[in-house]
Amino acid sequence: MSRSLSPSARRRREGYLFCLPGMAFLALFLAYPLLYNVWTSVHDVDLGQLLGGTERFNGLDNYRTVIGDPAFWHSVRLSLIFTGGSLLFQFTIGFALALLFARPFPLGGLLRSLLLVAWLLPPVVSGTLFRWLLDAESGAYNALLEGVGLGALSHDWLTDPATSLAGVVLANIWIGVPFNMLLLLVGLHTIDPELHDAAALDGAGARQRLRHITLPLMRPVSVTVLLLGLVYTFKVFDIVFVMTGGGPVDATRVLSLYVYEVFFTFFRFGQGAAAGLLLLVVPLLAGLLYVRRLRHEDAAPTGGAV
Amino acid sequence: MSYHLDRRGCLRTSTAAATAAALGLGGALTSCSPAKSAPVTLTWWDYFTLDNFQPGMRRLIKDIEAGVPDVRIERRTFPFAELDRQITLAAISGDLPDIAIVDNVAMNTLGGSRLLADLTSRVEKWGQADQYYKGPWSGCQVGGKTLGIPNNSNCLALYYNTAMLRSAGVKPPTTWDELASAAHRLTSGDRFGLALSAIRTEEGVFQFLPFLWQAGGDLDTFTTYGATALSFLHDLVAKGSLSEQCVGWTQQDANTRFLNQRAALQINGPWQIPTLKKAPFDWNVVALPRDKAAATCLGGENWVVMASSKHVDKAWEVLEYTQRPSVLVPYLVSFGELPARKDLADQGTWASDPALRLFLSQLPLARPRQYGAHYAEASQAVAEAEQAVLAGSASPSAAARTAAAKIDKALGNR
Repeated sequence: MSRSLSPSARRRREGYLFCLPGMAFLALFLAYPLLYNVWTSVHDVDLGQLLGGTERFNGLDNYRTVIGDPAFWHSVRLSLIFTGGSLLFQFTIGFALALLFARPFPLGGLLRSLLLVAWLLPPVVSGTLFRWLLDAESGAYNALLEGVGLGALSHDWLTDPATSLAGVVLANIWIGVPFNMLLLLVGLHTIDPELHDAAALDGAGARQRLRHITLPLMRPVSVTVLLLGLVYTFKVFDIVFVMTGGGPVDATRVLSLYVYEVFFTFFRFGQGAAAGLLLLVVPLLAGLLYVRRLRHEDAAPTGGAV
Repeated sequence: MSYHLDRRGCLRTSTAAATAAALGLGGALTSCSPAKSAPVTLTWWDYFTLDNFQPGMRRLIKDIEAGVPDVRIERRTFPFAELDRQITLAAISGDLPDIAIVDNVAMNTLGGSRLLADLTSRVEKWGQADQYYKGPWSGCQVGGKTLGIPNNSNCLALYYNTAMLRSAGVKPPTTWDELASAAHRLTSGDRFGLALSAIRTEEGVFQFLPFLWQAGGDLDTFTTYGATALSFLHDLVAKGSLSEQCVGWTQQDANTRFLNQRAALQINGPWQIPTLKKAPFDWNVVALPRDKAAATCLGGENWVVMASSKHVDKAWEVLEYTQRPSVLVPYLVSFGELPARKDLADQGTWASDPALRLFLSQLPLARPRQYGAHYAEASQAVAEAEQAVLAGSASPSAAARTAAAKIDKALGNR
């Protein structure tokens, strides 16, 4: 049975064929687990029911339980602080470093590559490193303070509930700075140097050029970097898990750790799935915004894009 | 991080024999086992990943394969924290092992889940239940059913640095008051009187529960007795006898402080004895100090058979076989663990080694953490209460009240 297809229809069919493996992959490894998670989130599932297949549909009960749990809101708050603090410092330090590395100077390339190591290290490794650095008894941070006679400032960062979140944020900033720097550096290179030259000829100082040329032209890249950073940072798990395991008490139990606990410590799968989906909300919104911006930029290619 | 144990040549041959038998070649190739029918392969999961456990485990499995007819063991190991999770995931994917060696506290979650095979009638027929210490055995009973049998048992006791106590003129403490004053007098410079683990995991709770029980309470009376236990620990920290850093210490970390002579006393288990024997100083171990009651927490592992197994009878045969003194004693000796059986008390290293003997003498006092399917939530509430008190962010009575509410909700005490 053969039908002659118009060239454009054939091309479209070929296009779909080429998409097929990718679509199958997405369906299998993304859509299926996600839908399964949604299904779980509206059933009463614990360890025993997994075997018997007797999960009871319970509508939005799991969501209600999660939303009614003060520990959940505590985790939301921690996640927001963690994300806000991380992004603020990652971005500003990253931006400053990008400005520095935008001009060529001796050993600049080497330094830049060295900085990237921080980003390339697995979070488990950098988390462990920072746990040691900040250790109250044998950590380098306190030893350094003692060494320069500021022993009074030494502090048990990770075992004091008041500062453990700050300690974890510090480690995450260190990890995130290179990523921010790299993307912002690419953005800086897309700014036409003639603009700066022209402004300089007109008598604009370095500060004015930064404010009226660099910053406005960097806006699209910056928003992209921040959106990507938001997605990565909000769902952070490994570094917190390695550094504090969510403690002391519950001082660093960010959302992802909360979900993990409900799942794998308490074995309340239904509630875990519900909490997991709620955790998805913020990154999902950020992701949608990001995709929309990409489309927007494709349509009107102005400014720097990443 | 899991690996299959390298199977011995013998096994390979018997596989070949099985294949040959299946092909109709008869028993011409049988070499290692008297395989009349094709041997049953039992999968076996545990978390004994450390190198020093491997020779003993290999020997045990070899023993089983030689002693139980037509059985082959395929063992897989997981890191300690990973085993429960793997069992959960396997329950979803339907890939469960036949036999597992699980932490005794895991009986709470697993016991309520219908994952474990009911061994009650087999155990009754076997008739050896009364040979076990009460704590370990009752830890295997869930809802009136026997869901496992003890593999080995341990508990906590108080180690002390002999020279430090002598030079401070302190006797090993036997009561809370003595413990508090001893820890205080033994604290000097960067040396703490006492080291223990108060980490925010089951490990910390394992170390805390004896204090609660010694105070005369339990999880259902946490508001009162939890506050007593918490304020006792709080005073130790306030006086500088116990480092508030212990909220981040595992039991391994506590032992490291003791080994480095930066703690004169420590609460720990018998598994530290091999390491401590290499210490360049003399130490000894005594029972945990008592308050209203003497108590310690039961640790150790249980054998369980999964309900999903197609070979429950064979698996039970294996378990039964491992409980013979000729099999169990060498296994426990090589692991440096204590038996859960009274009838083995005068055999093995624990009969002669004074430290092991002390731990064995405490087993009758050791209580299992037997609180039902939602124990994990209660346990976390306890851990958080202890951390809040030791880190100074809540008073003992307030922390106990908060925890008690969570515990009651989780365990359904009203």
